[in-house]
Amino acid sequence: MSHETWQEQLRRGTLDLAILLSVSSGPRYGLAIIQHLEAFTDLVVAEGTIYPILGRLTREGLLDATWVEGEAAHPRKYYALTRLGTRRLAEMAAAWRDYVKKIDRLMAASERAR
Amino acid sequence: MTLSDVGEARVNGYLFVLQRSLKTFLPADAVRDAVREIESHLRDRIAAVDASPNERDAVERILAELGPPLRVAQAYSAERTIEEAVTTGRVVPILRAVWQLAVSTVVGFFVALLLVIGYVTGLAFVAIGALKPIFPDNVGIQFVNGFPVGLGAHFPLDAGVDLRGGYWVIPIALVCGLGILVGTQRGARKYLAWWRNRRVS
Repeated sequence: MSHETWQEQLRRGTLDLAILLSVSSGPRYGLAIIQHLEAFTDLVVAEGTIYPILGRLTREGLLDATWVEGEAAHPRKYYALTRLGTRRLAEMAAAWRDYVKKIDRLMAASERAR
Repeated sequence: MTLSDVGEARVNGYLFVLQRSLKTFLPADAVRDAVREIESHLRDRIAAVDASPNERDAVERILAELGPPLRVAQAYSAERTIEEAVTTGRVVPILRAVWQLAVSTVVGFFVALLLVIGYVTGLAFVAIGALKPIFPDNVGIQFVNGFPVGLGAHFPLDAGVDLRGGYWVIPIALVCGLGILVGTQRGARKYLAWWRNRRVS
């Protein structure tokens, strides 16, 4: 597997977690989620591919989507975490921290052995 | 930035292509919602951007950042059609997802061809098993000059063709047919799961 493929898989694998984290502090619309992700990460490659993921997370019941009119010149679709989404985010965050800790331990052991 | 008529036409053209692409695999209300959301994204981006050095470059940059409409549609397809097929394992969503990939990728086309051969072969065996009790003299193994040349139903039986095989053909044909159908269905689901895992997002 090439380095690029590995990085791409890593990016895809963490995108759900990143999107859920983006709306954990309050409802955000699609572009605001993208801008939040762009401000902290380089996970967004093509902006248009974020929307289908938001749609899937909504169908899975992790996000709640609502159209808001009157806030701008055009309507915006806001996404908010549902109760299930909050629970899932906590599980994913814990699993991620645990995973990073294990890999860090492994890397430290490998560096010590060198 | 407020768009000129030319800029509006470019944005509407993008949305039109997206809508046409989405229509092939999404229900009408989902297409409307998706296009409305992408349009909202574009309007926000356009409102925030400066029209310098010229409007055309600014619009093209915004559309490029969003991604080509076919790619956006493909991402919707991967998230929706394939997801439904893999998670439910039902025949109709699986066939819909296989068709979607067959018309959009070369690999998908050849895999779909193999799967169609599998489904048709399985159905043919099942049909043989079902037709044997109705047409016992026309369904079985066909021999010409002592050599087996085919298995199936012939209406009417050609001269010189010797039809062999009693009712034992029924269970064998049904087991083979159902086995091939189940195997093809599992293969299709595994293929879609593999595709979902390598999807572009």
